[in-house]
Amino acid sequence: MPESLSRRDFMKVSVYFVGGIVGATVGLPAVGYLIDPALGGVAKEAWIPLGKLADMPEVGKPYPFSFTRVQVNGWERTATSHGGFVIRKSDAPDDLVILNSRCTHLACTVNWKEEERVFLCPCHDASFDAEGAVLDGPPPRPLDRYAEFRVTEDGILEIFYKEG
Amino acid sequence: MWKNIFDWLNERLGLNDLQKSLLERPEPKGNWWNTLGSASLFLFILQGLTGIFLTVYYTPSPDHAYDSVNYIMNDVAFGWLIRGIHHWGATLMVIVVFVHMLRVFVTASYKYPRELTWLIGVGLLIATLGMGFTGYLLPWNQRAFWATTVGTQIAGTVPFVGEFILKALRGGPDLSALTLQRFFAGHIWMLPAVLVGLIGVHLFLIIRHGESHWPKKED
Amino acid sequence: MNEETKKQINARYERELNKGEFFWPDSIFKDAVVSLGIFILLILLATFVGVAGEPKADPSDTSYLPRPEWYFLFLFKFLALYGQIPVVGKIEWLATVLVPSIAIGLLLFIPFVDKKQDRFYAKRALPLGIMFTMVVDIVILTLISDVPTVAADDATLFVKLSASLQPYAGLVIPGVVMALLFFLPRVYKDISWKSMTWLTGIGSFLMIGLTIAILTFAPKLESTETELASTLAEQIFAGQDLYSLHCVECHGDDGKVTVIEGVEGLEGKAISPINSRDVLYTVNDASMAEIIAYGRPDSGMNPFGRMYNPEGLSKGEIDYIVTFMRYMWDDRFEIPAEALKPLFPPLFEGEVPSYDVHIAPIVKRYCVSCHREGKESNNYWMDSYDNIINMGDNAPNIVAGDPNSYLLQVIQGHEIKDAKGEVIIGVMPPKSTLKPNVIDVFIRWIMAGMPRTAMDAAALYVQPTPAVTPTP
Repeated sequence: MPESLSRRDFMKVSVYFVGGIVGATVGLPAVGYLIDPALGGVAKEAWIPLGKLADMPEVGKPYPFSFTRVQVNGWERTATSHGGFVIRKSDAPDDLVILNSRCTHLACTVNWKEEERVFLCPCHDASFDAEGAVLDGPPPRPLDRYAEFRVTEDGILEIFYKEG
Repeated sequence: MWKNIFDWLNERLGLNDLQKSLLERPEPKGNWWNTLGSASLFLFILQGLTGIFLTVYYTPSPDHAYDSVNYIMNDVAFGWLIRGIHHWGATLMVIVVFVHMLRVFVTASYKYPRELTWLIGVGLLIATLGMGFTGYLLPWNQRAFWATTVGTQIAGTVPFVGEFILKALRGGPDLSALTLQRFFAGHIWMLPAVLVGLIGVHLFLIIRHGESHWPKKED
Repeated sequence: MNEETKKQINARYERELNKGEFFWPDSIFKDAVVSLGIFILLILLATFVGVAGEPKADPSDTSYLPRPEWYFLFLFKFLALYGQIPVVGKIEWLATVLVPSIAIGLLLFIPFVDKKQDRFYAKRALPLGIMFTMVVDIVILTLISDVPTVAADDATLFVKLSASLQPYAGLVIPGVVMALLFFLPRVYKDISWKSMTWLTGIGSFLMIGLTIAILTFAPKLESTETELASTLAEQIFAGQDLYSLHCVECHGDDGKVTVIEGVEGLEGKAISPINSRDVLYTVNDASMAEIIAYGRPDSGMNPFGRMYNPEGLSKGEIDYIVTFMRYMWDDRFEIPAEALKPLFPPLFEGEVPSYDVHIAPIVKRYCVSCHREGKESNNYWMDSYDNIINMGDNAPNIVAGDPNSYLLQVIQGHEIKDAKGEVIIGVMPPKSTLKPNVIDVFIRWIMAGMPRTAMDAAALYVQPTPAVTPTP
């Protein structure tokens, strides 16, 4: 019975076809749905004002600063604090080193010890010199720097911050 | 190569036998009304899949449930589709399961030898309605909150043990974070587990007894 | 059941199997077609109907009318109608527990109740009749679930009718039909299945007829749709509108106010500027929402939540205000680009602004907070076109084409004094000055005669006379 055979084949193909359509209509959007956060757009960038450069006159003295950024993750907002030090290397207005105060070992916050002129990390006693280079301890690299900065017309020092 | 893999698997799983007993079994002449059972199964699987996807972002807490649903609807790619399918799938599933029950009733397919299939089917209908009831609260919006308040209140009218049932359902005297959490657990773990188990037995019984034939004058 | 009947049934089934088909692919093909149809319907519903938005759950809002998911509506209605029955209606658990338990029990144990082996419909008039009546009842109870069960004493005859017919359609007729179906075959042993079918049909016909009457006479329900903001930008706008209405009076449109002026009962109260870091950094969202809802009695903040005032702000609305404050004033947040839409579209040279497009949003943002019902504002409510033009103790505040209209004077910094030299209207808004482009909108609008719609305004548009072009 070739005729009834082809009818059966038609039914089989139709069933596979329906399965394919349903699978694709649910499956493809589902993949997009699941990986959506990974496709999150460009990292947020901003110029963060740290204060008047005129208020940081001394060469070689670390001036601490801190700022807070809010990240919106889905339905939740998290405020993250960042801190660091501004150090003048010379009298020239743009000869600055701006260090991130987060230790490069395990992200503890380093403190400035004036008498020894080092940044001390309280967690594993690591120390860095005034320009962030590792002097002692486990950190794998010098303190991170905010490399991009500018001084506005009003004399305010701003650093460029990129999220993530 | 594919043939080798198939043969290897066939030897161990008995695929050919399975196909004979599960798929190529004889059936009475079919009727379009007889498709509603498998349509219910199809909707259940679809609800299961979309439900699993929803839990990727959904948070069962009074503080975040509403916002996380809002996030799914507005910010996640195709979130509106996944939730839309789940929302309307629930409605269609209740209709399809109910009409399936009516079909079985009208053709008297619950009679010998399929009594147990019917018993389990009623259990499936109740579990489906339970899914609807527990799922309704999860978006934590006004409608959900107040409907559940009244729904659980009704359970509280049972004589003597009403208050206890009410507290057990809500996880306390009032609708709270505990209610949301236990409805969530019920909706995604307990009731689905019950449904899967019952569906398994239901299907086994259908294969064992075959689909009932459409009744004729002589029946 | 004896073994003989079982054998007969099994043999009968074998005969059907021999005439039958195979599960794969014949049955599965039908299944797949139906499932595909359902799936397409599902996708269409999800895409074009979607899921309706709802405000966030607010346990303090007891005025909310609860409605269950639609497939429980019939139970809901059944309970309401049952409550109407005298005496028994007061015993609630009969309806909430006993009747549903009996129904589920019957459904569950029907294979053991209905023991006859007949399967053909003509031999099963009783169970089919009862089930049919039940299903019709479930459908009509669902349909009339929105119609009020009790009519007010001063309601129209039709509304009263629509309420009083409900117990008959939903309880009495189905009850009587089912009782008759059950007892008639016991009294008249030889009753034909046709009579039973007629009984069922007439019963359902009556139920459906009454339902149509109930629905036609039903009072029209006012739909109370609350505005819902889903995207962040929409939430910020919604928050801004609510802020303009409820908060600007004391805090000013930019939140800068440190001393409240011109507000009854709070005159001269010193407050923290709510746009400051001191407030925004130290108070988190949840606490801010709570301050708005419950107030801070010692520092002059009134409670705005619904727990004190049924017309107060809902939880969702308070959340919108908090979101607005965060994104507008908190420098840790970046305002989304789409939320930076200007209040009104900028005007071209010679263009005339309209009430709908320009004045309404401006007035809503800067004026309505004080100039509305229940506020001391010389009875000048700025909540509608007519009120803006006609109301107020010093009306008319606006005269078409008059550059010295009171409104134009006060927004440009000139007080209005009466004959004795006493100030009757101060400078507006009291705590800030409007931006020049906003003032310009008011001037153009009044000078052009206060057009209401964008169409009216467009008709007044004067093309700036172009330089004379020589005719060829």
